[in-house]
Amino acid sequence: MKNFFNINKFAVIIYWVIFLALAGMFFTNDFGLVDIHKTSIITAIGIDSEGEEVKVTAEIAMPQPSQSGENIRYAQVQGSGLTIADALNEINSKTGFYTKLQFCRLILIGENCRDNQLFRVLGCLYRKNYSELTALVAMCEGKAADMLANKSQVSDMTSEAIRKILSDEIEKSGNANTANLKDIALAEFSHSRSCFMPYVQITKPGTSEEGGNGDNVGGDPVEGGGSGESGGQGGGSGGQGQSGGQGGQGGQGSNQQGQSVEFTARKTVYFSNGLYKGILDEQQSFALAMFKSKIRLAVLPCEGGDIHHTIGLRNVEGDIGVKVENGVPKISFSFSATAQIQGARVKVDPSTTNKDDNVDDKVLRGAEEELKKRFESLFSVCKESNCDILGLKEYLYKHDYNNYGLVEKDFYSVAETECKINVRSVH
Amino acid sequence: MKISSRQICFIMIAYTAATKLLMYPTLLSMASGNDLLFSALIDFFIGTAVIWSISFLCSRMDKTFFELIKGTLGEVTARIVFGFFAAFFLLSTLLPIFEQVGYIHNIFYDTVPSLGVFLPFFVFTVYAATKKFTNIGRCADICLPIFAVSILFIFITAFSDVQWDNLMPILKTPALDIFRGAANTAYAFVEPCWLLMFMGHFKYKKGDAAKITLSYALGAATVLLFLAMFYGIYGAVAPSRTYAIARTSLFFPAIEVIGRMDLLVLFVLEIVMLFALVLNIQLAVYALVKCTGYENRMFLSFLVNGALLAITIFCNSFYNNINELFYNWMWIMYIVFVVALPVIAWLFKRRTA
Repeated sequence: MKNFFNINKFAVIIYWVIFLALAGMFFTNDFGLVDIHKTSIITAIGIDSEGEEVKVTAEIAMPQPSQSGENIRYAQVQGSGLTIADALNEINSKTGFYTKLQFCRLILIGENCRDNQLFRVLGCLYRKNYSELTALVAMCEGKAADMLANKSQVSDMTSEAIRKILSDEIEKSGNANTANLKDIALAEFSHSRSCFMPYVQITKPGTSEEGGNGDNVGGDPVEGGGSGESGGQGGGSGGQGQSGGQGGQGGQGSNQQGQSVEFTARKTVYFSNGLYKGILDEQQSFALAMFKSKIRLAVLPCEGGDIHHTIGLRNVEGDIGVKVENGVPKISFSFSATAQIQGARVKVDPSTTNKDDNVDDKVLRGAEEELKKRFESLFSVCKESNCDILGLKEYLYKHDYNNYGLVEKDFYSVAETECKINVRSVH
Repeated sequence: MKISSRQICFIMIAYTAATKLLMYPTLLSMASGNDLLFSALIDFFIGTAVIWSISFLCSRMDKTFFELIKGTLGEVTARIVFGFFAAFFLLSTLLPIFEQVGYIHNIFYDTVPSLGVFLPFFVFTVYAATKKFTNIGRCADICLPIFAVSILFIFITAFSDVQWDNLMPILKTPALDIFRGAANTAYAFVEPCWLLMFMGHFKYKKGDAAKITLSYALGAATVLLFLAMFYGIYGAVAPSRTYAIARTSLFFPAIEVIGRMDLLVLFVLEIVMLFALVLNIQLAVYALVKCTGYENRMFLSFLVNGALLAITIFCNSFYNNINELFYNWMWIMYIVFVVALPVIAWLFKRRTA
């Protein structure tokens, strides 16, 4: 009996057999290895709503065999269904690749999703292991499919061009309020039950908004933009150009001339209880960014001594506190920054530009007035829509739990505000 | 002596933490919300007390646990108890194996791999389970530095995105939920049983009880910090984020630019997790050797791993059911094997004395 079970002497043979079996599995592709050139990767998705259905347009990167450097083709493929998972399954059947969204960096939500519950639309993406929560989320003007079908001058990959205007650097300048899947879920499932995301618009390249004072970024509208049919509509796929030396592949932009467009995301869409509530304009979005983002350098147009100035704000510290006194929530906006002049509507004198860091008191007060106006405008939006995009209820829940229950319901209608703004000269 | 107290300390630091980085944070955040640290503290507090009591017992005698029971209740009882221990270690391996299957399939693959991808694991465990305590100690010597570097990397990359106030308000979760969270996740705390098995197999030196207990506390502190960071990053979304260790570094700015370089560290950390998992199988084989008196470890290793392989293949589709079973009922086993038996060991010691 003992000799029979003495397997030690067979150990070498057993291990060789196992090794050969594993080697066999490896070389016969039973380990499911994927040839990168025979696959396609979803880099962005656009979500549109049509009645009960959702239409998902996937921007797909297809690595191409090439002897010289990088060579990737991009195309849009569309799928539809009652859930995003249905639509992605259709895309899967068209692309021949398991559609996990591990490489998806951007989720664009079409304007037509406004009437839907946001987290019914996005719900699939929060389910286990479908995608990481790092993907940026934005709502776009018109259909998401059209937006992804546009051509951009700055990148062959449309989603990359859009991500450029939602980058960390843009956020640090207060020019966009970016949000990823995690941010909006954290905000929505907090006690504030409100979230926001950037609003992406397109304009004609080489144009800008007239009469703007540097705040109103924009330009001429693109003809047909936002209303045309996408290249991938109806399940087809529309090539959208190539990188790496191959020629374009019949790009089908949403605009009528197939021209390139510019993207902007200075406005911000906000939601409450998962429902669309409205859009913050550029100034209100700027005010929101001052409290929600880590600002390195923000540009603020203001009037100082009847002269228009453009001020650069550094060392920005925006903080909102809320405390309850006698059953009344008291919100304190506290903002401080150092300012330097970046531009003024006067003839420049080179001998005095080294004094730009020494900003005149009138200009500083003008900057403070402008900031106060913007903060008040933002707060009035919160109050009128009863939408806590500033996250004050969540703050109160975390820091003053005992009083949270007392003021939760009528928070914005009874809240009192106090604004402390201190803009000082760099020197 | 087969294993040194230093190596036991390394096991207490590295393996204690490594076994609680996949589903444990997710399940705990589901049960206790932002007060998950308190649920974990309850289990760790009990664990630390038991670890201290066992290591202190080791300072008073140099008998193995088997010899202790044999000296008090006779050999037959000792064999039966070790038979139960073998079953307990086997059971304690089951859920972590399914967690590992899911982890490897979901994190290391972008496609949907077959179960066959994971099965070579058993080739490793069949071999490892034949090894004795000397080998377990050497593995711990290798694993600790690997673990220390990897977890440090994870902490550094995760730190920038942690919102510590996600853990507030403190202790507002109903006490029942906190205790339930502690009970439901108690199946992950088998470390005192490891020490019971090591009893009498290492030469106790003055101060070893404190060192072993502090090592366990260090492992516990690592887990608590990780739990705090995980919940600090994901907040209310944490219960939907499975395989926590692979999710915490994702928001590190460099990963956005360079790509998932954290996967390299996760691969390395996986080595430690596997050794920690294998320890239970090794101890199951040891307990079986003591139970049966049959010294052929290769045969027993095939037996144990064959059982695990069969369960893994046939129950692969029932992960949720098994998880629920462990989640709801394993705390009973925990009380018997992890809390009661070590306390009883003290009574045995008195009677033997």
